[in-house]
Amino acid sequence: MPTTPQDDRKADFTARVEANMDALYSVALRLTRNSADAQDLVAETVSRAWVARDQLENRALFRPWVFRILRNAFVSDCRRKAVRPVESRYQDLLADDDGDVASLLVEESDEFLDWWSNPEQRVSNDHLGAQIMAAIDNLPAAFRTTVLLVNVDGLTYDEAADVLGVPPGTVRSRMKRGRTQLQKALWQQAQDEGLAVAARGLGDAP
Amino acid sequence: MSEQQDAVTPEEIGCLESIETLYAYLDGEIRDPADAAKIEHHLSHCRSCYSRAELERRLSRRLRSSGSLQAPDALRDRLKDLMDKL
Repeated sequence: MPTTPQDDRKADFTARVEANMDALYSVALRLTRNSADAQDLVAETVSRAWVARDQLENRALFRPWVFRILRNAFVSDCRRKAVRPVESRYQDLLADDDGDVASLLVEESDEFLDWWSNPEQRVSNDHLGAQIMAAIDNLPAAFRTTVLLVNVDGLTYDEAADVLGVPPGTVRSRMKRGRTQLQKALWQQAQDEGLAVAARGLGDAP
Repeated sequence: MSEQQDAVTPEEIGCLESIETLYAYLDGEIRDPADAAKIEHHLSHCRSCYSRAELERRLSRRLRSSGSLQAPDALRDRLKDLMDKL
């Protein structure tokens, strides 16, 4: 039986959803911070995207287009559930801090850089990975979400801006501030655990 | 000779400006080649900023490997059912 244009359109849509499924779930989880809610959000997003499919003129732009649909579905869901007022839940992601970036840089910069870059003085890979994720969890929501979207999920600044509903310049600013805060937190963790002291001790040994 | 060198040597920037643009540079978000050349020139001449950039590169690789997620099987099955009904 010959395929119809509608069949082709559905096959194309299905293929694009499948190709972006991991990214959609990751981004949904960044927003909802809950796997069940994230799965509901992705399902709602796919349903909305299918209904709105004729609005996508250039199918090559499916990914940013579907991210925008996901963000709108998330905002709608916040309003509908009213479990927590959207103004506080969603605005957590919009908060910005315009302080001086230079003030965030660790004072022991060179020492920290040397410690981090010397594999013989570093703790195990697993421990370091856990440290990094713990430090990210403690970042302010706006910075945490932006860093996760860009550095973990691999979104471009423009894509992250679409997801968060902010200008690309705000994403750039948040990346700068989030990453400098992350660096500072990692150094603080190293000091708290005595690892940096131990590293210095190793370096001083005859 | 010096005029030729001036023509190709990127404009000098300081450490603060380097830090301001470092993350966008490492994330591949500096679209103007002249701006990218400025920070590359600074990194090649400043040990402190070069070390910071190296740290951030390592941290980026760590982030990518530590936290990347896959959609759960339950979601894949759910979306397959959903799209079968479209």
